[in-house]
Amino acid sequence: MTGVVVGGWEYVIAAYSITALAFVIYGVSLVTRLRESQNHD
Amino acid sequence: MLIAAIRKELLIQWRTRGQLMAVFVFGAAALLLFSFAIGPNSEALRMFSAGFLWLGLLLSSTLTLSESFRAEMENRALEGLLLLPAHPIALYYAKAIANWLQLTILGVALVPVMIVLYDAGTLELLKLLLVIFLGAAGLSAPGTLYAAMTAQLEAKQTLLPLLLFPLIVPALLASVKATSFVILGDAMGESGKWIILLLAFDLIYWSLCGLLYGRVVEE
Amino acid sequence: MDIPKVSTSKTPYVILALGVLCLLIGSYIGLAVAPAERFMGDVQRIMYVHVPTAWNWMLAVLFSLWCAIAFLFRGDMKWDTRLEAGVEVGTLLAFLLCCQGAIWAKPTWGVWWDWDPRLTTTAVLLFAFLGILALRKFVEDPVKRAIWSSVATIIAAIDLPIVYMSVKWWNSLHQQQSTPSTVSSQFHLPLRLNAFGVLFLMTAFIMIRSRIAAYRLRQELAEPPVRIGEEAGELA
Repeated sequence: MTGVVVGGWEYVIAAYSITALAFVIYGVSLVTRLRESQNHD
Repeated sequence: MLIAAIRKELLIQWRTRGQLMAVFVFGAAALLLFSFAIGPNSEALRMFSAGFLWLGLLLSSTLTLSESFRAEMENRALEGLLLLPAHPIALYYAKAIANWLQLTILGVALVPVMIVLYDAGTLELLKLLLVIFLGAAGLSAPGTLYAAMTAQLEAKQTLLPLLLFPLIVPALLASVKATSFVILGDAMGESGKWIILLLAFDLIYWSLCGLLYGRVVEE
Repeated sequence: MDIPKVSTSKTPYVILALGVLCLLIGSYIGLAVAPAERFMGDVQRIMYVHVPTAWNWMLAVLFSLWCAIAFLFRGDMKWDTRLEAGVEVGTLLAFLLCCQGAIWAKPTWGVWWDWDPRLTTTAVLLFAFLGILALRKFVEDPVKRAIWSSVATIIAAIDLPIVYMSVKWWNSLHQQQSTPSTVSSQFHLPLRLNAFGVLFLMTAFIMIRSRIAAYRLRQELAEPPVRIGEEAGELA
């Protein structure tokens, strides 16, 4: 591949944001489900 | 023991051969639909004919594979079979072999449909038969295992393809590639490598699935 | 069949906090401090999160395989709770990998998907794991569910290298540049920090998720409660 990729910060931000969002949402859902299970037990 | 089980399976298949006919019509209809999806572009149709054939066969297999356990499910015969002094693994291989035969017949039956619809003729019929034979084996081994699992579930019609399709990607790739070479020509002699990949896949999955089957049907 | 006891230690939360810390520092360094790559420019920075996700996804698959085999050999349901966690977290990571890969591919190759063998294999395994999660949803008997998911996991895991090889061969005529698995710049620090960050996060997720699975098992395996006042044999 010749040439330089210029810019592209929006892609970098998109990638990091999706990753962060996914981890946060999953983490929060886990803690919530755990609390629910503990109360139910 | 295995021979008796195979004979029983083939007998069941012979008795329900009407269903196989219906599945063949389904497969042929699928091939027809693919050509409508592409449009009257004979070059494109010919180029992708191998893919269409194998997609058609794959879709048809979801019908025949789940059917193969219907008899057991309807009469709760699965449990009855387990009580026989027969090793469950022999029963697995009998069913898998029967399904293999059925899929091979289906595949071979769909070849003339492919040739006509996509102008995909070939003289290397023996090689084509070999590829269909090996590809059908690749579908049959995991397919029979998952058919046994999902037969006992309500959602069997969705779960069987959902579980099976990701697994048979290598068999699909290899079969399509090898078939493509047979139809379109194989200038660099590459089809051999794909046939070997297919064979390796078959050997691995025929052993692995047989090994695991006992656990799948135990009570 | 022993009803599993569920731990209530705070360890996973500590590990979670460590993971978040590593990721914050590692990402900061990767985004603000590390120099832009020679050819890829700033887009290369995606690798500081993509590669760690990839490494940990592989670990999640291996972990799930281990749990599946352990369950089939030992029969201890605790392996099933871990398997459930491993498959779910593995699915999450696979999904993230496909997203990150597509986001990386668009500015680099101009297309969202390039059939790169590594990423294509991940996509296939993503569907395989989704199938296993679906299977678990539809099987009510806990023991059957455990056996069948273990079998399905083993089959999927063994398929992984075969899928990779076949896609690699299939793609070989059209091979463009493949996704780099090593970062060419001298900055390995953000990569390592993020790798540990995702590892700690994944470990914490698996620990917590296994507990949730264990609680569910406790409910399923416990005796149904006797209702006072009901005549013996009377159906509700």
